Amino acid sequence: MSYQIDEQKIFNSGHAACPGCSEALAIRFIINTLGSDAIAVVPPSCIAIISGPQPLSSMRIPVYQTTLEASAASAAGIKRALLSKGNDHTNVVAIAGDGGTYDIGFQALSAAAERNEDIIYICLDNEGYMNTGSQKSSATPSRAYTTSTPAGKLTPKKNMAAIMAAHNIPYMATATTGYPDDLARKVARAMKIKGGLRFIVVLTPCLTGWGIPDNAGPKVSRLAVESGVFPLYEVENGQSYTLNYGPKGLPVADYVTRQKRYRHLSAEDIEFIQKEVDQNWERLQVKF
Amino acid sequence: MAGIESRVPSIWTTGWTDILNTGTWRNAIAVHQKRPAPCHGGCPVDGEIPVWVQQVRNEDFKAAWETLVENNPLPAVIGRTCHRPCEGVCNRAEYDGAVSINALEQYVGDLAIRKGWVFPVPPIELDQHVAVIGGGPAGLSCAYQLRRKGFRVTLFDANPELGGVLRYGVPEYRLPKKTVAAETRRIVDLGVNVISGQKLTGKDLGKIEQEYSAIFIAFGAHRPKSLPQFPDDADRVLDGIAFLRSVRLGSPAELGQKVVVIGGGSVAMDVAGSALRLGRQAEIIALEGREVMPAPEDEIEDVVAEGVRLIDGAMVKTVEAISKSLRLHCIKVKLDPDTPIGVIRPLEVSGTEFTLEADTVILAVGQDPELADWEDQVRVAKGMVEIDADYRTSRQGIFAAGDVASAERFVSTAVGEGRKAANSIAQYLGQPPALRDVTAIGAAQEPDVAFADINTFYFPPRDRSERDKVAAEVRKASFAEIRLGLTDEQALVQATRCFSCGACLECDNCVYFCPDMAIVKDSTSPLYYKVLEQYCKGCGCCLEECPRGAMGVREETK
Ligand SMILES: Cc1cc2nc3c(=O)[nH]c(=O)nc-3n(C[C@H](O)[C@H](O)[C@H](O)COP(=O)(O)OP(=O)(O)OC[C@H]3O[C@@H](n4cnc5c(N)ncnc54)[C@H](O)[C@@H]3O)c2cc1C
Ligand SMILES: Cc1ncc(C[n+]2csc(CCOP(=O)(O)OP(=O)(O)O)c2C)c(N)n1
Ligand code: SF4
Ligand SMILES: [Mg+2]
Repeated sequence: MSYQIDEQKIFNSGHAACPGCSEALAIRFIINTLGSDAIAVVPPSCIAIISGPQPLSSMRIPVYQTTLEASAASAAGIKRALLSKGNDHTNVVAIAGDGGTYDIGFQALSAAAERNEDIIYICLDNEGYMNTGSQKSSATPSRAYTTSTPAGKLTPKKNMAAIMAAHNIPYMATATTGYPDDLARKVARAMKIKGGLRFIVVLTPCLTGWGIPDNAGPKVSRLAVESGVFPLYEVENGQSYTLNYGPKGLPVADYVTRQKRYRHLSAEDIEFIQKEVDQNWERLQVKF
Repeated sequence: MAGIESRVPSIWTTGWTDILNTGTWRNAIAVHQKRPAPCHGGCPVDGEIPVWVQQVRNEDFKAAWETLVENNPLPAVIGRTCHRPCEGVCNRAEYDGAVSINALEQYVGDLAIRKGWVFPVPPIELDQHVAVIGGGPAGLSCAYQLRRKGFRVTLFDANPELGGVLRYGVPEYRLPKKTVAAETRRIVDLGVNVISGQKLTGKDLGKIEQEYSAIFIAFGAHRPKSLPQFPDDADRVLDGIAFLRSVRLGSPAELGQKVVVIGGGSVAMDVAGSALRLGRQAEIIALEGREVMPAPEDEIEDVVAEGVRLIDGAMVKTVEAISKSLRLHCIKVKLDPDTPIGVIRPLEVSGTEFTLEADTVILAVGQDPELADWEDQVRVAKGMVEIDADYRTSRQGIFAAGDVASAERFVSTAVGEGRKAANSIAQYLGQPPALRDVTAIGAAQEPDVAFADINTFYFPPRDRSERDKVAAEVRKASFAEIRLGLTDEQALVQATRCFSCGACLECDNCVYFCPDMAIVKDSTSPLYYKVLEQYCKGCGCCLEECPRGAMGVREETK
């Protein structure tokens, strides 16, 4: 197998992501696919760190750093300003973390989706507030350790993909870094569908936050897919579902036992997670 | 200019991060590296298996054949007779079954014969002249390599045709004569001077020594071992090698209706299979249990399927002549587990005595080199010509390999040794030592690629398929070849299954999985890529995502 990604060299070396960071990898595939006719909006997050220490930038496109609450609103505002200047071609893309999407930026995003703003919104979901020291977010999955859930999180991960699909936006997709072709294709698809809010949530394993080796990001991301924890799929207009990569029958144990954030789990905990994953998959499966 | 810059607000971007040197973060760096594949290490001819298999995959069959014949001029033969140690160590074996390397080799070898591909004319012609005694696989391989290096070669063989055991031993149904002829002819056509039908003796050595710059002895092992309990009865007790030879020559030795073959190796299977095809009833008595018999399991399986009765773990104690036949008094045995390696001591199991009637007994219990008139010429040890690691005998300028000098009796081993001996001879005659066979930098010192180094995500499971065989009922009725070669489609599937352990196929995974864009294509590098040391943070994602273990790590101490 050989990847075919059109490299525009818009993302630069020398950025400050941790060695092996999947967020950096995701950004690489995303903004190179977007090309140079794009403006990025980034809220506080690891993405903001990666985008560069002032006055340097790792992205050869304009990047606007907004507040944690306001990514969708800022992007929508920029897009409207461009339109009023007669520019209908430049893509405006918000690239935000899960904290800035599932929690703190959620109302701005939901409102932009309801207004069907003509923007692309990409959430790099590393399942926690990683930039500030691995606190839990509502994207943190059941039983996972974070510094603010020292005994493991008691509640399940919020199903952001379902929530966004339920806004009946033109395009919603899930993706992850172990499948670069799929991720790049989804960004390209989002670009093609203009005139509404397009949302992609990308699972990006966090090496320090999840407790995995520097070289393991892509592999762990594939295990998430193959164990059914994070199926890769697309939804158009809230109703047309397509499965890209689904579970391959791998037990979730194969996924969780590779991560130190789950090292406190008992066999019952793993069984509990397995049930939750099975249930989620059953509910999703019927939609394809 | 300065005026304009001063008006840029401080929060604006003025440059790119690629001026930052994140390479200082790391303490190890991944490097592209050709690493040895286990199949290569397991191959007696040092074959570049991953290389030619990929050439098959790319449907560049001529190139695949050229790679194959670098080390082995007999791929169609070896593709039918090799004991396949490569498949035993193939990394894919741990996943979904070894790549059918041997079948692929036959495929390429057969194709070359069909297409009439020939070896290129040697680029130089030297004056030095080497005598090769014996035109079996060892002698042919040595003659071929020496000719390619430009030496003059004269090949002496006692038989009218070349090939040794390949031509006068292994039966037609396993190895067609025309295959042997096609591959030996190609070697002779390189300009080898063949003197056939002339059996040399030790006394000829002095004369040859005067005429030639060096001598290679490879006349094999053709003196049959015997068993004391069998009478010296030329009508009813035959030697397996002589019997197979008679079959190969088209005038099979007289056999009675009931044939009992003694032995558990390849030769015994070939004898029994041949007797069966001559319309006889055949039984085999082997000392070892089936699992530990020296014959490869598939050869045992073949004759048993054809209707040969195998009595394993048994031996003949005494033989009684009764009218026209022989009565064999046998007993079941267990092998003494406490004997030193290489020594077999059968322990009789009391109460398991039985008898067998045989019109003809054929002994296939091994053979030794015929060294009677050579012993005073070169040093002999353990019944074989003694050689050192460079295939030198005790006598200056005389080299030896193959069955005459080695207890490892395999066709591929003979070919491999013939090649290495040719290198030694060339060195003796003043040529620089041959380059190690591993082509890329550093590969020789690296450990073999292990299964753990393979990223199986990139290899969807796909079954191993072997060559089909003619149905047992049909094949036992004639000497026609029993094994069908791979079809074009099967061959491509097998070639695609190869992980290409340690040999880069330019899939670009290392480029795309680098979060720092620290790997770029480099058309000037034999390893295809360049790591940008100023950026590489040493995460190792490239190494991990390389499907085939074609990268390594270099520790860095700062
Ligand atoms: C019946 C049989 C089946 C076998 N099947 C297999 C198999 O399936 N797979 C496998 O790997 N191995 C097999 N083997 C073993 C394998 O064939 C030998 O190990 C191999 O052929 C050895 O090669 P060689 O060149 O050393 O000797 P040989 O093949 O024996 O060749 C020696 C040559 O020297 C010639 N010669 C002998 N004496 C003289 C002399 N004094 N002067 C001039 N020429 C002389 C002979 O005519 C012959 O051509 C089999 C062996 C036998 C007997
Ligand atoms: C309203 C607000 N609260 C808190 C912060 C502090 N803060 C900065 S980055 C960050 C973490 C963001 O997490 P996430 O969006 O998941 O991105 P990640 O760092 O994981 O990439 C927080 C809490 C802030 N900038 N604004
Ligand atoms: S997979 Fe290919 S390269 Fe690897 S050991 Fe098997 S045949 Fe050799
Ligand atoms: Mg986060």
